[in-house]
Amino acid sequence: MDIAQAIVMALQGWGIIGALVAAAFLTVGIDRIDEDARGAYIFRPLLIPGVLMIWPLVLWRWWRIETQAAPWAARYRPVRASYGLAVIAMSAGIIAIVIAGLSVRQTWPADAVPVQLSEGTDG
Amino acid sequence: MSVKYIPVQWNANKWFYDAIMLAGVAAFLWVFLHVTPDVLDHERAINPQIHNARAFGACAFVMLTVILCIGPLARLDRRFLPLLYNRRHFGVMTAFVALTHAGYILNWYFNFSSSDKYVGLLYANSSFGQLAGFPFEVFGIFSLICLLILATTSHDFWLKFLTPPVWKRLHYLIYASYFSVAAHISLGILQDQQNHVFTALFLGGAGAVIVLHLAAWWAERGEAAAAAKGDWVAVANASAFREGFAKITRLPNGDRVAVFLMEGQLSAIANACAHQNGPLGEGKIIDCLVTCPWHGFQYDVRSGRSPAPFTEKVPTYNLRLSGDTVEVDADANPPGTYVEPLTLPGAAPQGSEAPA
Repeated sequence: MDIAQAIVMALQGWGIIGALVAAAFLTVGIDRIDEDARGAYIFRPLLIPGVLMIWPLVLWRWWRIETQAAPWAARYRPVRASYGLAVIAMSAGIIAIVIAGLSVRQTWPADAVPVQLSEGTDG
Repeated sequence: MSVKYIPVQWNANKWFYDAIMLAGVAAFLWVFLHVTPDVLDHERAINPQIHNARAFGACAFVMLTVILCIGPLARLDRRFLPLLYNRRHFGVMTAFVALTHAGYILNWYFNFSSSDKYVGLLYANSSFGQLAGFPFEVFGIFSLICLLILATTSHDFWLKFLTPPVWKRLHYLIYASYFSVAAHISLGILQDQQNHVFTALFLGGAGAVIVLHLAAWWAERGEAAAAAKGDWVAVANASAFREGFAKITRLPNGDRVAVFLMEGQLSAIANACAHQNGPLGEGKIIDCLVTCPWHGFQYDVRSGRSPAPFTEKVPTYNLRLSGDTVEVDADANPPGTYVEPLTLPGAAPQGSEAPA
């Protein structure tokens, strides 16, 4: 119970920090780093759930753009090399877990005729 | 394509796509709930909450399976590209369906105790040391979190903000999510199924995803290996180009370049679209603009710029002729740099003035 409560509290903390980041980013930061967002406000509430989920990544990218630390060429380098790895890992994992799941599957004696094991007490 | 961000960039194709998708979801739920209790062996559903939870859970699995099949199908056969066009809406809808499934579970099985229902969900089964009776809920929770991350970061803003490579890496979570769903089902509902129809459907869906992705990966492995290291890289013989189309070459650093023939002249731009890194070299030139086959973003192949008022840019490359061989400079020009097209011998250049 303690661990479960700790996990739930950690998630609540994550969300609270995310809300603070969202408030700062969507009111100040986004105008500073993206010209297409200036003057566009209706779409911003749509971004709140995303900031809540991945706020560390948001802070990292915000800092990278503000400091112009990212090389421009990196934006045009598609992620291809890891596709094979991802697919093989997913496929092997699914096959393994399905075999494991089927191997421990138990039959449920739903159709068995009920047997009275002891005399009842009523009467 | 962005000018100013708006919540959703609707068009007729997206309305059509979404209408079919929603109709499919409604039909699936209706069939599951009202037509197939005997076939799928859920006639023992105890109450409507559990019945609905199963329907939405099964629907989410089927939707996720279809989503994961679209990508490799479009890679293997271009006729499936239209399905790729609005896949993000499909993904967002899947996250909502999965969330509804979780809501029914949470508000039925964990809602009537004195403890918090979220704590109860994590605490109710802690048999992590055994396979039979393993707390399969954790796989469902993980998969749902992945789906929510993907759905909430699906707006075009995120692509530009995170950059397509980072966004793609983040969205690789879909593979972890699908594995986790398979584990959730294998150690969950599959343990209780006496009727083999659902088992067969599950194995068929997961098998299709595995086979299609491995086939697409295998097909990509067959592409030309990266060119040898050097300042200039051979692309193809000058006579091998086809008007309006490109040849794609891999540079020593792994980047791909698309070299287009337009009105007898060659121009080279990065093969990766600025939007989602779609393969520009598989697009066709119409009115000086190449259209990305994934989502329709357009670029002038001479400058790498989208037509005004759009602001997307991709890098350009310098070209030269070495005998009959067209060569590309391995060093890219900054995105949006105009490069004078290379006139092929015997071709009459038309309209090669630099855009204002």
